[in-house]
Amino acid sequence: MARRSVALRSEVPYLHEKQIEREADVLLQEFSLKFYAVTVPPVPVDDITELHLQLALEYKDMKALFPFADVHGAIWFERKTVGVDQSLDPKTNPSRLGRYHFTLAHEVGHWRLHREHYKKNPAERRLFDDRTATPDVVCRSSEAKKPVEWQADKFASCLLMPRKLVYAAWSSRLGTDASISIGELRRRYADTLATEPFFYRGQVLTEEEDKDNALKEEQCRPLADLFQVSQEAMRIRLETLKLYVKTKEASLF
Amino acid sequence: MSKRKTFGQLLREKRIAKKFSLRKFAELVGVSPTYLSQVEQENVMPPTADRVKRMAELLGENPDEWTGLAGRVPGDVPGIIHKQPTEMPKLMREASGLSPKQMQELMDQLRRIKKEGDE
Repeated sequence: MARRSVALRSEVPYLHEKQIEREADVLLQEFSLKFYAVTVPPVPVDDITELHLQLALEYKDMKALFPFADVHGAIWFERKTVGVDQSLDPKTNPSRLGRYHFTLAHEVGHWRLHREHYKKNPAERRLFDDRTATPDVVCRSSEAKKPVEWQADKFASCLLMPRKLVYAAWSSRLGTDASISIGELRRRYADTLATEPFFYRGQVLTEEEDKDNALKEEQCRPLADLFQVSQEAMRIRLETLKLYVKTKEASLF
Repeated sequence: MSKRKTFGQLLREKRIAKKFSLRKFAELVGVSPTYLSQVEQENVMPPTADRVKRMAELLGENPDEWTGLAGRVPGDVPGIIHKQPTEMPKLMREASGLSPKQMQELMDQLRRIKKEGDE
């Protein structure tokens, strides 16, 4: 495997999920006041990045810049520039639209959550120790999540799929506010589950958890399309919002 | 004196001022966001005269000025020269180097002559 030239020093301060969600909500409110109200999905992350935050957006050939890492996005704090890998260009690769939005929102997360930290701790900035023109934060898709990356992911999830909009879309699509248990999903897709081997996105799934995730991602496809995010991102958000649950509490009524 | 802005820098600045995102503007011009971004980053030659004209129109800028900035010749100019292949280059050479004020006077004169000819 390729050697990674990552110089990790210390970590960004801990942030609770609620703090991250609040920051994403604040950003959306700022945008709504200055530009236009976001009352229905998708959240206009391009406009938020370029028009509101005034970050320069640049499509880059990340494979040429970082041949030994699977990089989707990067940020240069002082240049106020966000770079997105050109393989995610939704015009030429429409199937990458969700990934594109998530990458952009993830870099916006670094801008909102981490730029002050890196300003105070410039030594930590260059996570890639080669040339001076390298970005302050390089985001690899394959990397085990460090806190700084986990926080930016969480921010992206909250920004692109705001709680209120997700609840509204869920109840309008399903005709109910109620969550769905994994047992219900297994019953609904019993025929699919009975097929052997169980294929999903070209892979054979054998683990129960993987199969359950595949069912959720199949079920949430319309919502993923609505929010213009990947089915995986939608599934994770729905789990966080407890709209997908393991078992349902017994109802009083 | 401030350094003159490059075509790519100017394009990004005006696009943001007019509140077009990169993707939205690329769609209106009929190019991919990747290509438009490469133009803004100066990694490729500026677009063709037709595209520059479209960009200038969308941004409320002077298409001829922008075509010049992009190092291109406006699409109708070669045809005009070909129609009068001796006189037009001669006229351009004579007019070359005039101050903006002198140029304005010359153009006013030309318009007058044209108008009289039409009557």
